[in-house]
Amino acid sequence: MAEKSKKDGEAHSRREFLKIGGAVAAGLQVGAVAGAGMAAGKDPSTHTGWQHLGDNTQFVDRSKLIRKGPAYEITGETIRPRRYESAFGRQRLIARDMTQYREMINSFDAGEDRQEGIGNPSDLPERETSPETSGGVRSPRDAKGFPPLETFTEPMLSYYKARPDLYDLDKLRVEEIMPKKRKDQEKYEEFYTLINAWSDSWSTHERITEPPEVSDFKIEGRRKIGKPMPFKSPELASKLIKKVAHHFGASMVGITTIEPDWCYNYDLRGSKNRESYEVPKHWKYVIAFGVPHQWEQVNSNPNSGTSYDAYARISIAARRMETFVKSLGYPARRHSPMDGYDLIAVPYLVKAGLGEQGRHGIVITPETGSNFRVAFVTTNLEMEIDQPIEFGVKEFCEHCQICADICPSGSISKADNNEEMNTRGYRHWEINQTSCYNFWMQSMGGMGCRLCLIACPYSRKSNWVHTGVRKLDTHDPTGLMDNVMTSMQKRLFDAPEAHEYLPPPDGRFANYREAPEWLQVKNYLDIETSDPSLGE
Amino acid sequence: MITNLVIFAFITGLLTGGVIAGAIAWTRDLGLNLKWWKWLMAAFWYMLLLLLVFAAFTLVGEGEAVAGWKILGIATVVMVILGAGLFRLFTAGHKQ
Repeated sequence: MAEKSKKDGEAHSRREFLKIGGAVAAGLQVGAVAGAGMAAGKDPSTHTGWQHLGDNTQFVDRSKLIRKGPAYEITGETIRPRRYESAFGRQRLIARDMTQYREMINSFDAGEDRQEGIGNPSDLPERETSPETSGGVRSPRDAKGFPPLETFTEPMLSYYKARPDLYDLDKLRVEEIMPKKRKDQEKYEEFYTLINAWSDSWSTHERITEPPEVSDFKIEGRRKIGKPMPFKSPELASKLIKKVAHHFGASMVGITTIEPDWCYNYDLRGSKNRESYEVPKHWKYVIAFGVPHQWEQVNSNPNSGTSYDAYARISIAARRMETFVKSLGYPARRHSPMDGYDLIAVPYLVKAGLGEQGRHGIVITPETGSNFRVAFVTTNLEMEIDQPIEFGVKEFCEHCQICADICPSGSISKADNNEEMNTRGYRHWEINQTSCYNFWMQSMGGMGCRLCLIACPYSRKSNWVHTGVRKLDTHDPTGLMDNVMTSMQKRLFDAPEAHEYLPPPDGRFANYREAPEWLQVKNYLDIETSDPSLGE
Repeated sequence: MITNLVIFAFITGLLTGGVIAGAIAWTRDLGLNLKWWKWLMAAFWYMLLLLLVFAAFTLVGEGEAVAGWKILGIATVVMVILGAGLFRLFTAGHKQ
């Protein structure tokens, strides 16, 4: 009797387990689908045109869409186009003839306002060209109307005679549309301040050739910045700048204040004075931003990688940001890998809260570890500033010497800590830049090294495994995870020894990881090469 | 993206149901009457196995094949030992 009761009880227990487990599983699955839906909806990689391509080079497999035959059906004699058939292409000729016409009536006045029209700026006299929101050429101000048809010279004279409808349309634009637009701009332009700044910043293309007191106050080296647009608050200014920086391509952004100790005291860009200089008074705030390297190539350093991919992308972002800030009426100067720096990068990154300085002398961020390149914009736009962050790098670097062990030039310190180090009055990890640079000169491929960037355990890929481990380490006060991370990196992630990265005969031009398929000559070029890994 | 996730979740759900049904069948076949906490331990063991396999192949997928295989090797040894221990625990005092 008791045994039967016990069996009944166990059967009941089993049924309850199945019931509860089934309900929990169903709940979890509903939650998982909801969470997956949320994640898929928010996933930036689903932005059209920015999805992950995987191994493909295009989003759509066009090989399945190919149609037979030529692109167009030929219906008659084919002729090459003349540039002035294009509304944009004839702006240069119109401007030329309008100039002549106005000089003839002695009433020409070169305009400065934004106008429509795109042509070839290099073909125009300086007074007829100017940077446009649309990246084009301004037509002369038309105070006296569009020239009569017979005053045009060839080829426009013949063209307009053949196409009087286009003459009428061009005349309409110059005599009515553009003057109306100027009036609209006077009335409404401030309403479009941000989009104009955004647009200007994308179209900017200039080199720094003048000192800060000049170049920082001119957009594209020509147009003076306007009156400063007041922000509702420094917090909102900071929010907008960070948002825009991301759209310019920056992966991370921080804002801090200028620190004269961290500005070079010699050779200010654009200045004829090569000696010591005062830090410009309008450099009050520093916008710091960075991007990581292309993943596959940075892993194949030092001999099959380059710094220039991230250099170029962050330099473009810096140019855009500089123009954006200037277009809002604030002086600004970019400091970037391609355009040069007037300040030293690492301390500003630390002060702006992007990361902590590591044993290898560069900054480690929570997002990309050591794998990122940086640029700055100095300005007097008042913004909310960020604070330095701390996520265990100092303690971790004291445990970990992976970068120092792998450095082919032995430029990274293997000291237990940086207590004895002093650089111009500041304590932080020091490296031997000269021996580091000497190895740059030895390496093949894109000049430089970058091994310490990629060997850093914080630089591992941002998938769930490494992200999870990094988060555990950040929140572990005992230091246990430091040892676990370092130990796992050394034991699991094999890499060539330091000397193997050197040229033969001491080394074999090794890379940290094999070059990606698309950077291997043997896969694409029909040439004979010598593989240094096979020996001399 | 969302389609892939839904399909993945659906297939995983079906497989999970299959695993559960199979586990029940095995215990009946072996004459084991497992308490709920033993089932929970078995589930934890199984999930840990999946997690380690997932981690190993994540590393393989990211191009760190050596690290992935090493983790898989270590995981296999650890999971075999844990599995054997659990089996002993489940069958302790049990007569066929």
